[in-house]
Amino acid sequence: METAIIKERQTRKFKDVAYFRSEETYTLLPFRFHRMPDGREILVNEIGDYMVVPSGTTARIINREINNNDPEDAVLYEDLVAAFFIAEQAVPDLLEVMATRYRTKKSFLDSFTSLHIFVISLRCEHTCHYCQVSRVTSDKNKFDMSRVHIDAGIDMMMRSPARQLTMEFQGGEALLAFDNIIYAVEKAKVAGEQHNKQITYVICTNLAPLTDDMLVYCKENNILISTSLDGPVYVHDKNRHKPDASSYRLAVDGIHRCREILGEENVSALTTTTRLSLDYPIEIVDEYVALGFRNIFLRPISPYGFATKSVNKNKYETSRFLEFYKTALQRIIRHNLDGYFIREDYTAIILKKLLTPFPVGYVDLQSPAGLINSVIVFNYDGAIYASDEARMLAEMKDFTFRLGTLGETSYEEVFYGEKAQIISEAMLNESLPGCSECAFQSYCGADPVFNYATQGDMYGFRPDNAFCQRNMELIQYIITLMEDDKQVEKIFRSWITGKS
Amino acid sequence: MDVQVTNNVLTVTVDESIYPEKVLLKCLYWYSDTWQLEIDRVHQGRLQITIHAKDDAIVAWEPVSARLKRDLIDFKLRQIVADETRTIRELIVAKAFAYYEPEETPLSIVSDPVGFDPTSV
Ligand code: SF4
Repeated sequence: METAIIKERQTRKFKDVAYFRSEETYTLLPFRFHRMPDGREILVNEIGDYMVVPSGTTARIINREINNNDPEDAVLYEDLVAAFFIAEQAVPDLLEVMATRYRTKKSFLDSFTSLHIFVISLRCEHTCHYCQVSRVTSDKNKFDMSRVHIDAGIDMMMRSPARQLTMEFQGGEALLAFDNIIYAVEKAKVAGEQHNKQITYVICTNLAPLTDDMLVYCKENNILISTSLDGPVYVHDKNRHKPDASSYRLAVDGIHRCREILGEENVSALTTTTRLSLDYPIEIVDEYVALGFRNIFLRPISPYGFATKSVNKNKYETSRFLEFYKTALQRIIRHNLDGYFIREDYTAIILKKLLTPFPVGYVDLQSPAGLINSVIVFNYDGAIYASDEARMLAEMKDFTFRLGTLGETSYEEVFYGEKAQIISEAMLNESLPGCSECAFQSYCGADPVFNYATQGDMYGFRPDNAFCQRNMELIQYIITLMEDDKQVEKIFRSWITGKS
Repeated sequence: MDVQVTNNVLTVTVDESIYPEKVLLKCLYWYSDTWQLEIDRVHQGRLQITIHAKDDAIVAWEPVSARLKRDLIDFKLRQIVADETRTIRELIVAKAFAYYEPEETPLSIVSDPVGFDPTSV
């Protein structure tokens, strides 16, 4: 027994390195990581906070090699604790805080479906080559939404648990059925008051049929205008063919008139990126700046409907889009550096997810997915679709995402019925193959309609999925830009605070 | 981890106690668009990955095997974090949704006949 009592002789010499290597001193908290091409690692925790660390850091964290007694690790250790990557107790003290943060991130679910799209008419006077849906016709009866369907759509909208609703009128060209819009707005105003709802009205239009009377009505009813501007005249007019007139001229004149009467903040424009646009990233951005816009939304063309048939004109590689997007984003940053505030909206959405604890209810980038949960579409013929893309698919005679018919299908069947349940199985990126391990899960989303349209099933196959390729690359790119240039980070932060 | 290239086929044999099947599956998922893949248990505790080109093209295997080795380690690390943090993760999600209380204040005015105002509690 004597030997057992013999203690190691205490000495004053320096301690061995192993002494400083902390033993199981901390607990891992849930996080994922992504390896960047240069070897750096992006760590993202369960509540969406991120850190960029040198190569090999993840392995060191997991092997419990980060030692807060080591001066070289002290800052990293503190950052990891403060940002919820590791905890000093087995069950972290701040579990409640983490749960609340998680809840906040998902709180876009609280209000359920708020965006209701009414395809008020399918008629259009344009003949755009990439357009999936519209018809050049004067047959109002066949291609305008009937009053019966408008009434049923408003009834269904009033059943939404959301207090704040958005009623968006789309086409075809929505303004061709302005009488329908007036009817719908007047009906919705009364119903909204009865059901204690606040309704925001939006008209999506190419502005060509805009009249002063329409503007007066929009002004009186606080109706917002969302238009399309694809860039300079030689891009816009090629994308949006209008027999005997310049679509660009009509759009730009319309924007000026809308700004004058409705105010600048009530008019917004979206770009649709086509194969042609890919050659003009700088020119498109400069056009928006020249027209005084403070934001630009560079959207990739959707892979649905007629667009997929027009292979030569519309099928372009995601990598080409990414190249285009990065060039355009650099140009936008340049304008900001030169003192002109202009924000790119897709980046701003991702930034809000990266830099703030707030929920971002952007339909295309959320999990659970935005279709049904955030948006529902009432088509001109009364058909109800899970999203705008779902109705475009239906134009190709694929009714997979058709949820019912206005006036015939009950609210419960539409939102909680068998079809909604089947779709909802593929709505969570937390449980999709590939996404479940992906560091960018909380910034990205799930898009069953996109997966179905491009790959034939709602779950999708991530290794060659365009949605995945695009988002993985863009999220990484945005983080890299901020990490490598603090001036860019400052600009990006101004995009989400609105303060430069 | 044993790596071999024979007849334009890459084989990687790993110790199952270090790289369990689920780690291989999660890792190789990202290779399955480009390569033909197989996973076999060759001996007790040894799993073998076989990779060949889908179109029989001659492949320079060096970068592929280097990437695969790195990816296997990365997916192993991911698995460790997932396993070690499963309970905490479940707790976070369960607590987050268990606390849901819609913010609703009574719409009608609450009368206060005995001087007790429930809205001030
Ligand atoms: S789609 Fe791709 S980038 Fe998005 S979460 Fe899934 S794996 Fe990650």
